[in-house]
Amino acid sequence: MNTLLTEKNRAVRRSVRAFCEREIMPIAGEIDREARFPWEIVEMMGKLGYFGIQAPKNLGGAGMDTMSYVITIEEISRVCGSLGLCVTVHNSVAIYPILAFGTEEQKERWIPQLARGEKIGAFGLTEPNAGSDAAGIEATAIRNGDHFVVNANKAFVTNGGVADICLIFARTDPNAGRRGISVVVAERGTPGFVVGDVEDLCGMRSNPVSSIRLYDCKVPAENLIGKEGMGLQIGLMALDTGRIGIAAQAVGIAQAALEESARYANQRQQFGVSIGHHQSIQAMLADMATQVEAAQLMVYRAAILRDQGKSFSQASAMAKLYASEMSSKVTDMAVQIHGAYGYSKAYAVERYYRDARVTRIYEGTSEIHRMVIAKGVLSEYK
Amino acid sequence: MGLHIIVCIKSVVTKAPENGIVRSADTAELNPFDRPALEIAISMVEEQGGTVTVLSMGPPSCAFVLNESMAMGADRGTLLSDARLADSDTLATSTALAAAIKKLVPFDLVFFGTRTHDSDTGQVGPQTAVLLGTPLVTGVTSCEIKDNLLRVDRKIDGFREEYELSLPAALTIHPSAVKPRYIPLGGIEEAFNTKEINVLTLDDLEINVETVGNAGSPTRVISMTKVTRERSCEFLTGTTDEQAEELVARIKKSGLID
Repeated sequence: MNTLLTEKNRAVRRSVRAFCEREIMPIAGEIDREARFPWEIVEMMGKLGYFGIQAPKNLGGAGMDTMSYVITIEEISRVCGSLGLCVTVHNSVAIYPILAFGTEEQKERWIPQLARGEKIGAFGLTEPNAGSDAAGIEATAIRNGDHFVVNANKAFVTNGGVADICLIFARTDPNAGRRGISVVVAERGTPGFVVGDVEDLCGMRSNPVSSIRLYDCKVPAENLIGKEGMGLQIGLMALDTGRIGIAAQAVGIAQAALEESARYANQRQQFGVSIGHHQSIQAMLADMATQVEAAQLMVYRAAILRDQGKSFSQASAMAKLYASEMSSKVTDMAVQIHGAYGYSKAYAVERYYRDARVTRIYEGTSEIHRMVIAKGVLSEYK
Repeated sequence: MGLHIIVCIKSVVTKAPENGIVRSADTAELNPFDRPALEIAISMVEEQGGTVTVLSMGPPSCAFVLNESMAMGADRGTLLSDARLADSDTLATSTALAAAIKKLVPFDLVFFGTRTHDSDTGQVGPQTAVLLGTPLVTGVTSCEIKDNLLRVDRKIDGFREEYELSLPAALTIHPSAVKPRYIPLGGIEEAFNTKEINVLTLDDLEINVETVGNAGSPTRVISMTKVTRERSCEFLTGTTDEQAEELVARIKKSGLID
């Protein structure tokens, strides 16, 4: 796999891996058990540029390509899925829309602090009654002179409990259907901006996923990203990019599960030999390794297409679908190889199993991805 | 003009050689003992201004350690690479490095790690300093420049020694001196996009080729094999008291306690 990468990409992998193995790996199990967001690690990651991987240098970012971005997400997720999630969401669906659709003024106002990790970003599209059906959101942002009055109930917001800014998707024109949705940047601390309780989730437990609710919250008109009515378009473009990150995250988690399983298979003795000698275990390891590598190739292909300025929407949807489904299967096999120990919190594969599961749900479920991919396939052969 | 600090670094092999040593990013890494030396050099230059040059000797596949050091914050990299340098021992290596350093003049300081992770001789730093004719302190734990004089601390055998040196000087930096920084993503981008590696061959140096490589090496590695340590596990039997007594007796017999 390394042969596909440039020397720069490899340097990214080595340096991120060194940091993650030394600083995050020793506490990854603990922060999962305690459902704790590790601010001390986040501060270090901010200084290393992980929160502004693709943001331009003059705005405080590292100015890197998509390949370096996916490698970074893969490596963080290899040791801690929750932090991989925090970083990928912050970079792709919080920073990217501001960079792609924001004015120069907006970029200078928000990007430098976000890129340095001094402020955490979030993306508020999902609502209790609108998940896969993004156009069905009920939040409203009604223009009133120099501001919008926003009322919104955003559910399952990744980074919600720690976010300083949140992109809020809301209807600015309640009668215009899909074209009546806009996106505004709401800042924590604004009167009416309320952060709900952190969700008690199955996995990704050290990410403070919460609801964010806005009650008659006055958001300045200059916080509108793009134009009124462009919200859904901006959201879907952000998700195209975001999906590459989620796919990379799924690959990272699966890679960790594969490594743990291979090590365990070499050590664990049953019937007088290490279990790696048994064909059924070998078959699982072979399938795991093959599927991890296949998913990784798909993720890299989507990243390369994006870096080349080519259309990557279909590639990123396929990568996300395949990598997330693969990650669930591979972590499931990892638990199986570990037997009862794999089902115990004493071993890390149990955490990988829980963390991998959600990659099939967020930033577009597998079902929605199949719809998106099928639409592309059907239109190609019309 | 600021300080000019040259840091000599090495790519060390991380995987036991099977069919000869090939140093590349997949089988080698920047010598961990060089990282504290780099850290001190980079932070001194950050505080006082100047330039950090990293210098390494090895085949072109070693260049990644220079990129990595520049990503960490070094300003420029020099790779001394020539097939005639193959099989250099520590004396030949020091001879070549000293000749390369003379091409990088003027300099104020030359830093080395105390030793390398793979061959662990600790000879290259001191030998190079002797060949350059600069003062040398080994195992340095901290250093600062005041009024053009270098003050250094060194901890050895339970003593703390303080030295004052005139510049230019050479130091080997103790691994406990400082925790090296992690490499920032922005640094990697900058190193690969804007910083260049200057490649020197023996033809660029004022050196007698007979003093380096195989010909210039009075010592020779005859063979290299992986050492496997035998470990055995034995369960003591009897009551807890009996097991404890047996254990103490065994430890006494081994000479670990009286």
